[in-house]
Amino acid sequence: MATATDIKPLPPEDNSLSRELREDTIFKRFFLSPTVIVLLLLSIFPLLWSLGVSFTNFQRNAAQQAAQAAGTAEPSGFLGLGFDLTLENYQRVLTDEHLHVTARNTLIYVFLGVTVQYAFGLGLAALINQNFFGQTFFRLVFILPMMITPVAAGYLGRMMFEKAPPSALSQLLSTIGRAIGNPTLNIPFFTDAGWAPITMVLIDSWQWIPFMFLLLLAGMQAIPEEIYEAARVDGANNWQQFWGITFPILLPISLTAILIRGLELFKLVDIVRVTTGGGPGIATEPLVMYVFRTALDFGNFGYAAAISYILLVLVIVFSTLFLAISRRIQRSQLGVE
Amino acid sequence: MKKYSLTGRIATYAIAIFWAFICIFPLYWLFTTSFKPPLAVSRVPTYFPYIGATEDMPVIINGSFFRPTLDHWNFLFGEQQEQTLRHLRNSVIAAVFSTITSTIIGAMAGYGLSRFRYYWARLGWKNDNIAFWIISQRFLPPATIVVPFIIFYGALGLIDTHFGLILAYTSFNLPFAVWIMRDFFNTLPIDLEESARVDGATRWQAFARIVIPLSTPGLVTVALFSFVFSWNEYLFSLMLTNYNALTMPVYIAGQNNTRGVEWWYIAALTMVMVAPVMFIGLFLQRYITRGLVAGALKS
Repeated sequence: MATATDIKPLPPEDNSLSRELREDTIFKRFFLSPTVIVLLLLSIFPLLWSLGVSFTNFQRNAAQQAAQAAGTAEPSGFLGLGFDLTLENYQRVLTDEHLHVTARNTLIYVFLGVTVQYAFGLGLAALINQNFFGQTFFRLVFILPMMITPVAAGYLGRMMFEKAPPSALSQLLSTIGRAIGNPTLNIPFFTDAGWAPITMVLIDSWQWIPFMFLLLLAGMQAIPEEIYEAARVDGANNWQQFWGITFPILLPISLTAILIRGLELFKLVDIVRVTTGGGPGIATEPLVMYVFRTALDFGNFGYAAAISYILLVLVIVFSTLFLAISRRIQRSQLGVE
Repeated sequence: MKKYSLTGRIATYAIAIFWAFICIFPLYWLFTTSFKPPLAVSRVPTYFPYIGATEDMPVIINGSFFRPTLDHWNFLFGEQQEQTLRHLRNSVIAAVFSTITSTIIGAMAGYGLSRFRYYWARLGWKNDNIAFWIISQRFLPPATIVVPFIIFYGALGLIDTHFGLILAYTSFNLPFAVWIMRDFFNTLPIDLEESARVDGATRWQAFARIVIPLSTPGLVTVALFSFVFSWNEYLFSLMLTNYNALTMPVYIAGQNNTRGVEWWYIAALTMVMVAPVMFIGLFLQRYITRGLVAGALKS
């Protein structure tokens, strides 16, 4: 790519061009700096501050009380300064059962969600990738759930799965129940500690299978038809073509799609908030929810920051492992080919 | 193209129709619930509006039909109008302004990263490192930075202001905007700008008059994603607003706690929230695919 900045420094007598170079330097800073400033201020700086706060015993209520005692309107020491440095938060992390349960819930969401969404997305993409009448229509319908607000998806989940008010599903279940002689047949989608996390994954999957579907479909449509023709000449059936050609070619895009969804699932909170509110007990509470509960309900900013760093560590470990594994898979794939 | 047997074809349609049903039915349920009289929600599941129903008919007809009513919509835009419109307006303000700022700033950075060579000597970073650093911010869990946001917004008086929310959403949307726009500008031939420059246009004129008009598809993709993200965002609106700037998702999620769940009312409210995004999405769906594919393939 040839840009004006590629030009080597010019002899000083050529005034017009060296002025242009100088302009370009200003110009190029002007273009990138707003982004860099916004990200430094609103992303990097809070990230570091959060790390700092996680090593303090910063409590909002304590800050307010201190302000009242001092008679100042604005709480002094408000910014997390003037609090004692402590390792307590991270010691508490090790023994906090609540944290361990919420971390486990988050990991369940990530791994189960990604698996379900990838499997269905792949199947549906293969389905729509065939040539049949109505292909475009079905494609459009299949991506509808993705366009809904997650809070709305949560409410839809309740409308579908809850027993009261009676839903189509509960009616179906009781019909089946009567038929098999068990009139009280019922699945406690939201009230059973074993079922509830699965229900969360189902609702999230309903919304995000379309994401996998769209990406994988785009990947499939980019595969040239000649490859399949060659395979058919060799006598490969549809099944063999799919696993021998389509799946390996889709591997890079699959891994990226899985990584993106996995990282998004670490952030899952809205659906849980409107369906179970974290319950029964804390059986569906994700880490993100524990963070904001600790911060908002208990005002314990220090510990909330520490938990949020545990979340960050999990995210980093997940993506690092994932990238390492996917690199290995891709390399072995190339080796086979 | 491939040929399929009749049974294969039937199976294809069966699965496609089944999955289409799973996608559409909850949306249909939401839509109809907003027109159902409360009894038709809480007694038995009712499936279809009875067209031609009159006022003196019972609300549940024949077990699965209901007499449609506009009561909830009238309530929403009558008695509750002030509340509904306020939260709707908050959502529109937060989404529109954060979309504008992140699209403009993002397009500038994308252009810079595509056309110039940067070198941050202290870090030893070149264009690719900078781009990767920017996109990596998108995957940072927002919960990790929420505590400092509460602390600093509290100190600066930004809690519960539109400006505060717009600022936060801009920073969330920016990485994606930069990524997509850089990608887009990379595919745009540089010759056009250069010939304009030869004709005496300044760098800025070349950017504003040649590059920007040509990059409408990229800008639409970025704007669409930014708008939808800000429109749907929940966590930061929950943490940083409480009344004046409270957006629709938090408002609707809050309906959870009031005396019993009034499903018919929530359904109408949810319709108001999802309809704009859904229409935008359906009309601009080719941009969605492009945005997703560009976002995924290149990262």
